Amino acid sequence: MSENTVSDVNRREFLAMAAAAQGAFILGFWVPPQANAQAKLQTGPRPVWYEDSPTPEVNAWIVIAPDDTVTIRIAQTELGQGVWTSNAMMVAEELQCDWNKVRPQYASANRDARERAPEWTLKVMGNGAADPKGGGEPGFGPRDPHGVNGIPDSLYRRMRTNAASSVKDGRYYLQLAGAEARERLLLAAAQQWNVQVSELTAKDSVITHAKSGRTTTYGQIAGRAAATPHPNPEKITIKSPDQWTLMGTERKNLDVPDKVAGRTVYGIDVRVPGMKWAAVKACPVYGGNVKSYNFDAVRQMPGVRSAMQFPIPDPALTRGRIFSGGVAVVADHWHQAKTALDRMPIEWDIPPERAAFNTANMRDALLAAFAKPGKVRVNQGNVDDAFARAAKVVEATYSTPYLPRARMEPGNATVLVTDNRVDIWVGDQSPQETRFSCSKITGIPEQNVYVNLCHLGGGFGRNGNGPQAEQAIMIANAHRGTPIHLLWTREEDFIGTTYRAMGMARLKAGLDGDGWPIALEVRTVMQEDGFGPESSFDVASRYYVPNYRFSNHTTKFHVPVGTRRGIGQAAHEFYRESFMSELAHAAGIDPYRYRRELISRTSLPYKDDMIRALDIAADMSGWGKPLPKGTARAIALEERGAETNRMATISAMVHTVSISREGKVRLERVDIAHETGFGLVNPLSVKKQLEGQIAWFYNDAMHQANTIKDGHIVENNFNTFRISHIDEYPPEINMRFFKTGHWLLGMGHDRSTSVQSAIGDAIFQITGKRFRDLPYGGHDLSWT
Amino acid sequence: MAFDLNINGMRHNIDADPQTPLLWVIRDYIGLTGTKFSCGIGQCGACTLNVDGQAVRSCSVPANTAVGKRITTIEGLSPDGSHPIQVAWKEFDTPQCGYCQSGMIMSAFALLQRRPNPSDADINAAVTNICRCGTYHRIRQAIHLAADLMKEGRR
Repeated sequence: MSENTVSDVNRREFLAMAAAAQGAFILGFWVPPQANAQAKLQTGPRPVWYEDSPTPEVNAWIVIAPDDTVTIRIAQTELGQGVWTSNAMMVAEELQCDWNKVRPQYASANRDARERAPEWTLKVMGNGAADPKGGGEPGFGPRDPHGVNGIPDSLYRRMRTNAASSVKDGRYYLQLAGAEARERLLLAAAQQWNVQVSELTAKDSVITHAKSGRTTTYGQIAGRAAATPHPNPEKITIKSPDQWTLMGTERKNLDVPDKVAGRTVYGIDVRVPGMKWAAVKACPVYGGNVKSYNFDAVRQMPGVRSAMQFPIPDPALTRGRIFSGGVAVVADHWHQAKTALDRMPIEWDIPPERAAFNTANMRDALLAAFAKPGKVRVNQGNVDDAFARAAKVVEATYSTPYLPRARMEPGNATVLVTDNRVDIWVGDQSPQETRFSCSKITGIPEQNVYVNLCHLGGGFGRNGNGPQAEQAIMIANAHRGTPIHLLWTREEDFIGTTYRAMGMARLKAGLDGDGWPIALEVRTVMQEDGFGPESSFDVASRYYVPNYRFSNHTTKFHVPVGTRRGIGQAAHEFYRESFMSELAHAAGIDPYRYRRELISRTSLPYKDDMIRALDIAADMSGWGKPLPKGTARAIALEERGAETNRMATISAMVHTVSISREGKVRLERVDIAHETGFGLVNPLSVKKQLEGQIAWFYNDAMHQANTIKDGHIVENNFNTFRISHIDEYPPEINMRFFKTGHWLLGMGHDRSTSVQSAIGDAIFQITGKRFRDLPYGGHDLSWT
Repeated sequence: MAFDLNINGMRHNIDADPQTPLLWVIRDYIGLTGTKFSCGIGQCGACTLNVDGQAVRSCSVPANTAVGKRITTIEGLSPDGSHPIQVAWKEFDTPQCGYCQSGMIMSAFALLQRRPNPSDADINAAVTNICRCGTYHRIRQAIHLAADLMKEGRR
């Protein structure tokens, strides 16, 4: 399958590379000779991936150097959500070290799989989500040798970054890790001074024996602590929120100083000796392959080394998704590779049934699927009887388009394959899956695969489920001995990403004479592989309706779909909250009061928290106070897990929206009421996530859609796929947090979804027009 | 064909096709990776740097058009992240993923050179970069703070 030429890595570089590839140490960041002077001057790029420590580690999470620097290993990937800091805070809270001396570093995915978690991390104490002193309910999937669901007893318990779960799942054992290390540092000091541990105190990396006035630092005692096991680590407990001193305070993200100086090393910035660059083109129609390509036409172009064809990545490595086969050109510099690839004649082999898809016929197929029997998920009471009794019936069909992540950093990965080892440098939310891919493609055992994690230039839903790594591994495997850095163009990134499935929902309610729903029928439809990660959410059960039926309907499309930020919940909250406002208007009842009443009629365990969220948001917004003509407020509930008595996250938002007579929408102000549960680990991170998700769902509401033509994605760069600028961001955002009695279910991906329904309702209030197909930006919103 | 570029006050002799976009010369030939690639068509601004006082989207400019001009990248703003704009950015903990932030800072840098006391409208007009994480709220506040810090610095 390959047609490659031997690369001419120079001898000195090759020796360094070969030595590194055979030894235990990972290749370092390499700076081209041109930049040496500047790099020295400016302290240079800062890699973040795992490195073996010269100082013995206290435990797998913590290394304390003689100068008191505390390295904290992070098993989640930093993609802007602040996990680099919040994970470190949970360890440092218990370690009681000097926060200013904390330096995070990625954990080793290789060690994670090879070593078993310490026994004391495996059993969660406490009484579930309702116990402030407990561990909550960290969620781990069943053991999966591929690491798709994680390896529950692996060293770091959970080496993946998804489902807004990093803090939720990690808090218990990360606190324990800090506590275990603290106890051993104290034990080591007690042994050194021959005193009782109970006579010692630890604060800010200093251990004090008050009786004798002696002190030592963590750095001085860490070596001894590393060799001092704890006699009964299962007795170690974690602090409850009322004992927190670091957690719960606003902490700036530890990686921000590097990010504002341009020093952070993302995957795209990785440079290793002898590295060559690969530009690729995959068949734009998913499931297509290369029929032919003519390397001879570009072989002589500057810097060009080789070209090769690669097949559709094995669906077993991409969660069953079928991407495309393609062609790679390898060159000394990426721009040379891309220029040659652009000029190289390529013919595609496109399955005709896949080329037959376009947005219009896919929409028709979704509508047709409504009529077929679906999978009934909920059927309470007698829906048909209740509809027959209803004084009024309201029906609405909503739709959401295919949506990508469109993270700012295009897909990339750097891979070096030698005869007995694979190294990959990549920003990746699921490194164990990538490790498995490396092994399967190269035939090199998994224990010899090293994933060197980099920060991600945006994640928004496990960016690893595109085939960037698999493509890079295939190319590097055909160029063994030469590190290959694959980088997608933006256009290629739109082909390589997975999409949130295009979907529709048909909601029908029967209202009684007072306007309250007595029957509700909800049908959702999307492609069959969109269900699972995309649905997992029950549209209507938060508002009381005595007779309720919910069914899922499916059809088959070829677009690879995956877990985009907010998963199906983002679309479903748009459907649910839009419809609740429509019902309130139909009933002639204030939409805030309408929601409040229907929640109060339920017996949901967290109904008081939901009502509180609505009350606070309404109060903050000045709900009911007059607004200028052309301006309107809309309210919505956001929640996940509120139907359970387990972990949940509940918020409510009021959006104040203005629309000019020409139809220009402006989100003027957002008032947010958000619960803290028992406590937020880093409230600053939470605020930033809420702010960011306003922009995210504003874009979903106003601008973004991917359409399909002849089987391929049409909008493939930021000129056609629009992302809002600073001028569209709401000038006023207010947040109020309230305490509740359970642990949170996370908040990194499914907050601020209410922007979608709120703008729709404001459009209705101002213009009298009701639009149910996102994005609204495609509609005529003018009014007179 | 070799040519010279003046980047962050240093002269670099580049052996590359002079038509290579300035972004790629800076990232791959010079090795300064703070300036980012994202769209490749001048839409997003992640590649923004400064050429003779102007914000330039370097993915869409041939390198040879910058010959004889003064180029400043994020790395050249300060040796240690101490430029008032960077200080202000840190004060608001502005970045999330951070990928667009070099470009955002360099857009703000050009704006503040031109308008030391920018209004919100000035910011809207000048900072047309894309941030996918949605950090705009903090970017706006950081630009206003940076303007204040720079005024203090001049006093």
